[in-house]
Amino acid sequence: MRSIRLEPLFSMAEMELRRLRHDPFEIITRAVQPILWVAVFGSVMAKIRAFPSVGDYVSFITPGVILQSSTFISLAYGIALIFERESGILKKLLTSPIPRSYVVVGRALAGSVRASTQYVIVLASAAVLGAKIISNPLNLITGYLVLVLACMGFTGLSILIASLLRTRERFMGIIGAITMPLFFASNALYPIEVMPDVIKYVSLANPLTYTVSALRKLLVSNSYDILQETLILTCFTVLAIGAAVKNLRRIIE
Amino acid sequence: MKAIEVRDLVKVYGHEVRALDGVSLDVEGSTVHALLGPNGAGKTTLIRVITTQLKPNSGYARVFGYDVTKESSEVRSLIGYVPQEVSLWSDLSGYENMLMYSKIYGIPREIRRRRIEELLDFIGLSEASGRLVRTYSGGMIRRLEIAIALMRNPRLLILDEPTIGLDPGARSLVWDKISEFRRENGVTVFFATHYMDEADKYADYVTLLNQGRVVSHGTPNELKRHVEGNKVLITLKNNTDSSRLSEVLSSVPGVAISSFDNNCLELVISDVPTRLPAILEKIFVSGYSVSEVKIREATLDEVFIKLTGRRISDESGRMKEVVSVRKMIRRGG
Repeated sequence: MRSIRLEPLFSMAEMELRRLRHDPFEIITRAVQPILWVAVFGSVMAKIRAFPSVGDYVSFITPGVILQSSTFISLAYGIALIFERESGILKKLLTSPIPRSYVVVGRALAGSVRASTQYVIVLASAAVLGAKIISNPLNLITGYLVLVLACMGFTGLSILIASLLRTRERFMGIIGAITMPLFFASNALYPIEVMPDVIKYVSLANPLTYTVSALRKLLVSNSYDILQETLILTCFTVLAIGAAVKNLRRIIE
Repeated sequence: MKAIEVRDLVKVYGHEVRALDGVSLDVEGSTVHALLGPNGAGKTTLIRVITTQLKPNSGYARVFGYDVTKESSEVRSLIGYVPQEVSLWSDLSGYENMLMYSKIYGIPREIRRRRIEELLDFIGLSEASGRLVRTYSGGMIRRLEIAIALMRNPRLLILDEPTIGLDPGARSLVWDKISEFRRENGVTVFFATHYMDEADKYADYVTLLNQGRVVSHGTPNELKRHVEGNKVLITLKNNTDSSRLSEVLSSVPGVAISSFDNNCLELVISDVPTRLPAILEKIFVSGYSVSEVKIREATLDEVFIKLTGRRISDESGRMKEVVSVRKMIRRGG
């Protein structure tokens, strides 16, 4: 019986952090858009009191904007595997003694670590812009873990799409087509109650909604009533990564 | 024990491209075995089946007795593999690449650092190890990849076109390191190449592959016997009576005179090492003296042409590919 070693999984996340240290450009540029969402969209909507039910609007959209930026990074992460397919890295990983599922789970974790850097940047900028974020470290850490869980799911989804489409052009096309609708058909910018029925149903099937909801409870309402969200997100992440593991061999054939 | 045993292997891509069309070959342990053939011969496909990346349609391949489809994790634990394409993270340093792979490969923490430093020193990259791989030359990249493949002390080292796109100096440095490691560790080396000189020089055994089939196999010298005879040019000291010498030489078996101009004699001799001394002796005994002997050895390329009607080396299509791969590294892909 061989013992299960987790180090290879974490080493892929470490690899991602090392890449970021050498070249933090993406993290900074990716932070521009969410900061503008909070600063411009947030303050304008707050001023006209568009959604009186949500209380302070800038605080309300901060979790949504964190997700906007980290989901996009997660969903785009699959392109790394397409590049690695064209280079020899994927071949080498698939011929190393680690199980194939490690390649997907490890990279999902890596993509998630990369994406979740937005958590710190957006929270800090939102706080500067007047968002009232719960500063209890336990809430902040729990929120981060929920975000990592969700981003692993989105990265898994991205790896699945990369395995099925296999070229950069097709991949970018699909990712471009799904990210904005995913964002708008969620509770990131407005409460679900104000949506038309059809979009309401879409947003209830959207994992982004549950992530935003959990973060909002933790960071804005100071509530730990996040069991349902966590369960749904766990299912989503397990399914997305499971499907990605199952289809990974397509990327190298 | 056989390091690799391949029997009747067939791999079809889609429905029509028969990349491997019934390949059988054996690689004996502790030898260097080259897979030689032109682009599109099926070399990479065969290597990808042996390294457990692709499932064959029929036939089987075993590595030290383990089946590559049924016992793939055992196979993976025994091999070190360098794919044809660059397999490093170009936005990490050389050291970081080794560190990441050492963790992925499960090299124990206690020996990790020492092992990496030993190997970096061995391949002559200690000084460059802090630089991003993006700044490395093609030869440095290849050496680092080989060091990573050696990190696990594999019993079988599989290299797909290890020196493609490198200049001659970098090529011989790569091979020096492989040979040096082999002398010390007795690892079996299986490599694909379309450089016939490389197969000739570094391999104990060569398998010639063309259009998914094994054309021939053997030691480089055995293969060269397919080309009947080598050309030998003998220059005689004095102007001589050609007819008399022709008569003398025609009595030696396995020798054909292809031309005899002035005092320059061109012969085709099969099995030069044993026959040439006898021929020279005949010439001396008949009272002639020789000023120069040139032997033009058959090349594996000639063997390949003789057996298939094609040349091995056709660089044009391939170079484009290499250039684009190198460009990708520069861009940081």
